[in-house]
Amino acid sequence: MRRLLVLLALLLGLSLAQEKLKACFLYVGPVGDAGWTYAHDVGRKKAEAALPWLETRYVESVPEAQAPSVIDRFVREGCRVIFATSFGYMEAVLEAARKYPDVIFAHATGIKRAPNVATYMADFYQVYYLNGLAAGALSKTGKVGYVAAFPIPEVKRHINAFALGVRAVNPKAQVLVRWINAWYDPAKAREATEALLSQGADVFAFTEDTPTVVQTAARKGAYSFGHYTPMLKFAPDRVVSGQIIRWEVIYMDFLKKVREGVYTPKNLQNVDYFWLLQHKAVEMGADYGVPINPKHVPLLQKARMRVGDKEVPVYDRIMALLKDMSSPNPTFDPFAGPIRDRKGVVRIPAGRKASLQELLTMEWAAPGVVGDWPGEPR
Amino acid sequence: MEEALLRAVLFGTPLLLAALGALLAERSGVVNLGVEGIMALSALAAFAVALDASPYWGLLAGVGVGVLGGLFLGVFAVTLRANPFVAGLAVAAMGLGASGLLGKRYEGMPLDTPLPEGPLALVAFLLALLLHYFLYGSRLGLYLRSVGENPKAADLFGVSVEGVRYRALALGGGLIGLAGAYLSLAYRPSWTDGMTAGLGWVAIALVILAAWEPLRVVLGAYLFGLLFFLQFRLQGSVPIPSEAFAAMPYLLVILVLALSGRSRAPKALGQPFERGR
Repeated sequence: MRRLLVLLALLLGLSLAQEKLKACFLYVGPVGDAGWTYAHDVGRKKAEAALPWLETRYVESVPEAQAPSVIDRFVREGCRVIFATSFGYMEAVLEAARKYPDVIFAHATGIKRAPNVATYMADFYQVYYLNGLAAGALSKTGKVGYVAAFPIPEVKRHINAFALGVRAVNPKAQVLVRWINAWYDPAKAREATEALLSQGADVFAFTEDTPTVVQTAARKGAYSFGHYTPMLKFAPDRVVSGQIIRWEVIYMDFLKKVREGVYTPKNLQNVDYFWLLQHKAVEMGADYGVPINPKHVPLLQKARMRVGDKEVPVYDRIMALLKDMSSPNPTFDPFAGPIRDRKGVVRIPAGRKASLQELLTMEWAAPGVVGDWPGEPR
Repeated sequence: MEEALLRAVLFGTPLLLAALGALLAERSGVVNLGVEGIMALSALAAFAVALDASPYWGLLAGVGVGVLGGLFLGVFAVTLRANPFVAGLAVAAMGLGASGLLGKRYEGMPLDTPLPEGPLALVAFLLALLLHYFLYGSRLGLYLRSVGENPKAADLFGVSVEGVRYRALALGGGLIGLAGAYLSLAYRPSWTDGMTAGLGWVAIALVILAAWEPLRVVLGAYLFGLLFFLQFRLQGSVPIPSEAFAAMPYLLVILVLALSGRSRAPKALGQPFERGR
């Protein structure tokens, strides 16, 4: 009898174990790089901690050419969902999806889908706009520095949103942009920041994978906005806010829907996440749960800006817009027309906001942006 | 202008230190291609110790790891007479890999008390002068150069070729370690995998371009630092694509040093020494 019970318990345990959903992650960089891959891995860990039926596994630093063999291994090991976290894995993912029609694939930043390939992305443009408002209020010189990785639409969209925010507070302000043509290069980020400091920039935002800009700006007493992960600890007195990613929100949503049978290897053709503040996939903050560093709140309350025909404290405006854009049905959008580019060409006509397509292919530069702008439309 | 000169020196400093370290070993006849790896390991050691103790102990740890790195290369390149190029590349790859692995828990941690760059930059400059005096004005320097030029003759005169080469690798390693510590304690006070970002390779190239002369290494390192800064300072104000600007430091340094005179490597550079052959 006792043996029978033990056997039953074992069988039950086995069947429960079988119930686990195995999701596997393909990373382009090392998990410790403090940037892109690190953030995905934080998301993976949080999802695994929150979902008891989830089992995960990852392989890091996978060059694009090695992706097919790693995917083969994942499938052999029983992965039912495979997340590929680099744009460059696109062909490998589509190829593998044909080879393994019963496996679900999700491709971060991807643009091509299939019945068993979904795409997903979390975007910061709203948060950049809000941080631009704060930057415009805090700059005394009217020059805001921006250290940027590569001149691609994603980065241009973020600079534009940021510049629109800066100009909404200070219509004469300039956003000085310097390209470092690297996602990760601390020396370039440092010297680009130094160059901007020497040109009078006193507030900084950036897009690259290290806290170098924050650290360098703080040494000269300049304010900065963190990027991608919380950066308050790198300059507690000078980091005002920042953009923080929450990949776990997307991962958990996706995996729950797979488990519930909403997503199958046959119906993902139109599943594309472009998640924003309202989905909680991104956060405005100097740290998790700290939208604005309390040390800088009084200054932002004192600063005023025009909204319609009223003068309001910049702080109130930021918090009101943050609340609006975090609600299920936002009324405000940074790219609501009419918006002209820096050459005066109307890019988004009055009466509507930028379409997803316009956001994803943005090449123009917003008014106030100063500096080289590769690929700028004539 | 003032700003640009300051950046030239402050960013030129890690390059100068690493290049001096490579130069010292090469003047004794041993090629040190392990600079990048030794620098990365030293940067990590310096940062880790600085977090637990103080940045000054961190500095010491960085130098210490650099010395060990130099000696480690010596075991293969001097004692075992392995191909020094292969041994050096192995040390570079191992150092980068090991530092990435061991440094995982230090990723993304801030250093609350970074070291000031200025005094360290001054030390680096004085070390370059000292090295010049050592090579050309002291008996030990003469031994070192003779070992690098003609180890057989040096051996006949009773100089221990292996001993001199080990010492040069160790001292040079210490300088490379100082460069690594400068990066993680002063230049950018934190640790991330791959933070040396190719500076070690630039340093090796600089030694060759500077014709193995410490004073010309100073010139080359500061020039590189200046141009590196200017590529961002001038970006946007001159109608040149930013990618072309990014190549400028490398091109101009090559040009200037190539035009500034002869270049002759130590004669026995890269040749393992074995008595009686």
